[in-house]
Amino acid sequence: MKKRGIGLGCSWYGTGYGNGFPDVSSAFVEIHDDGSATVLTGAVDVGQGSNSIFAQIAAEELGLESQDICVYSGDTDATPDSGTTAATRQTYNTGNAVLKAVRQAKSSLLDYAAHEFSCPTSEGIELKEGFIGVKGDPSRRMPLADMVFQARLKGERFISAESSTARSTPVDPETGQGAPYWPYAFGCQMAEVEVNTETGMVRVLKVVAVHDVGKALNPTQVEGQIAGGVTQGIGFALLEELELKEGKINNPALSSYLIPTALDVPSIEALFVEDAECTGPFGAKGLGEPAMLPTVAAIINAIDDAVGVRITSLPATPEKILQGLAEKREGLEK
Amino acid sequence: MKTSVVGSRVVREDAWGKVFGQTKFPADVNLQGQIYAVVIRSPHPHARVLGINSEQAMSLAGVVAVLTAKDVPNNSHGVLFRDQPVLAEYIRMVGDPVAVVGAETEEIARAAAKLVEVEYQVLPAVFDPEEAMRPDALPLHPTLRPTNVLYHMPIRRGNLQEGWAQADVVIEKEYSTQHVDHAFLQPEAVLAHVDERGHMVVETATQYAHYDRGEIAHALGLRFSQVQVKTLAVGGAFGGREDISLQIMAALMAWNTLRPVKMENTREESFYSHSKRHPMRMHYKTGATKDGKLVALEAKIIGDAGAYSSWSINVLRKSAVHASGPYVIPNVSIDSYAVFTNNPYSGAMRGFGAAQTVLAYESQMDLLAKEIGISPLEIRLRNLFKVGSTTATGQVLTGSVPLDQCLAKIAPYLQRGGDSQ
Repeated sequence: MKKRGIGLGCSWYGTGYGNGFPDVSSAFVEIHDDGSATVLTGAVDVGQGSNSIFAQIAAEELGLESQDICVYSGDTDATPDSGTTAATRQTYNTGNAVLKAVRQAKSSLLDYAAHEFSCPTSEGIELKEGFIGVKGDPSRRMPLADMVFQARLKGERFISAESSTARSTPVDPETGQGAPYWPYAFGCQMAEVEVNTETGMVRVLKVVAVHDVGKALNPTQVEGQIAGGVTQGIGFALLEELELKEGKINNPALSSYLIPTALDVPSIEALFVEDAECTGPFGAKGLGEPAMLPTVAAIINAIDDAVGVRITSLPATPEKILQGLAEKREGLEK
Repeated sequence: MKTSVVGSRVVREDAWGKVFGQTKFPADVNLQGQIYAVVIRSPHPHARVLGINSEQAMSLAGVVAVLTAKDVPNNSHGVLFRDQPVLAEYIRMVGDPVAVVGAETEEIARAAAKLVEVEYQVLPAVFDPEEAMRPDALPLHPTLRPTNVLYHMPIRRGNLQEGWAQADVVIEKEYSTQHVDHAFLQPEAVLAHVDERGHMVVETATQYAHYDRGEIAHALGLRFSQVQVKTLAVGGAFGGREDISLQIMAALMAWNTLRPVKMENTREESFYSHSKRHPMRMHYKTGATKDGKLVALEAKIIGDAGAYSSWSINVLRKSAVHASGPYVIPNVSIDSYAVFTNNPYSGAMRGFGAAQTVLAYESQMDLLAKEIGISPLEIRLRNLFKVGSTTATGQVLTGSVPLDQCLAKIAPYLQRGGDSQ
């Protein structure tokens, strides 16, 4: 018989290295004579899309489009150290470093432009749609490229280097008391499963994931992170297990160490909550790790809801579910 | 704040290359005159290398070099402590590298690797972290820790006795999680060469090029300024590319032979080449009042660190800090431990210690709700963190704490004639 159930899982996650471990990111920025710009940072894009996020941040600040920005990363001869791509920290931490660096280069550009436009303060200057000009007077503007090129002739260049450090402090080693991480990211997921009571197989039919992202800098990438996280969570909950015998791995192959395939991945509805984190770039916090956390709980709780079997050891294999069903039957018979 | 580019669905620049198969991963790059290197790994979980005889391997046509521990200027690396050998003389896990063979082709290198004779003195090994914790267990890292307990983190808050006195319902259960591999789709690969400047250039997929540079420089006795680590496209990482895998061995071979060196793991080698997610045993005892308020939590979490420390301290700290779940619990006693064993070493993996505890704390929430007779959603709503809440570590949450908003969005999907909504 196939039985269906739903389960809820919530989670929280302290982002960044935490516990006072130095959590520093750095970035170099150069605004070019044609009005494009380059961002150099050590932060490695491991496929999650950090380079695109940094391009969006720089473009936003400079009134440009994403494709006007070159982001080059992860080369120790050319880019400054930006820490590990880990701990859900690159959008937040290196994002902040990029933002600071862009703002620094922009600040000298605005000062220069204020002088050129006879404006006593750079507050009166804006960067918009590839132009630089006087706020409120559309007749007094010029292409950013012209301004940067003219500046070079006068010996002015708009380049910058900045670092950003996340806040965290070590906890007391005796009591564990303290403020070890900041910010925390929250989330919850609902899983609907179908359990085959004859085979013990669990099929995940649907996952709804709601994650707190502060600000979705790129909603497509938020959805991508959630889809990947849920998929990895399904593997953790139902499939993946290293079989060890005296320290030797008995299943070092993807034919015997099972990870989810496209056929195991259900429909995933990815939703997010934007409650700005004031220390993050444009209010953003990280999502990389949080996206996979609630999945396991939602699935395990859904299995219980479907067939009344409480799985306490991962993964929830068909064998464990059949054993749970058998124990339940025995309990009823007694 | 109004933004135009930020918040938009900009298409990633790297998407096209990946979709059309043009992206270069480390396995895709080659240099003229390169040799191939393969690793000889220990089949034993705990042993001493008594001798390595590479004469037969060296006599095979096309073999360029066989390097062992003696060839490594500074034979150690590691993220928190440099407790992991580049090439081991003392083996702490199956898969510890003992030698690296360089040859004109990969086939010759693999054939030669089979000809290298390694003599081991096999030692008794321990695989169960609770067994390894016993004071009489032989310590695997005596210079680092007198016992196999690498780390213990206690969290104490409130008064547990008072908590149990207030509790109408108590759920006590044991949970456990498994060893998990990152199983990224692209196995480790490296291309290392000494360039025209005399610099050591290492192209690879890593999560932290600057860390790799530091470890390569340390092991080879070079300055940071003489080592360039260049990250090519990364085919998945998830924490499994934080520790050093092949980078130093490839660089060492290139430095010794002055030939470009290519290394690429098979899937099986990859399983032995990087860390694992910590398996954890979690004993949870949670108490709540009959109206569903959490009042006490006692938790003991034992994480299997395996053979090397890697990030275990930080991982088990994260487990402890997150053990309460996103809920206010006034009386708390949590202990987490990271323990050395002769299993594959554990390290960073997406979720980093906070992924395992979710199984325990969220199962407890459902079990408590059932016992009390309220819905899973309701018990969470009654206990969740809000702005101003205090965590188990005494941290007051300010700023963005929108779990209530997340639950409000998911609530419609949980509708099924629930109780108190």
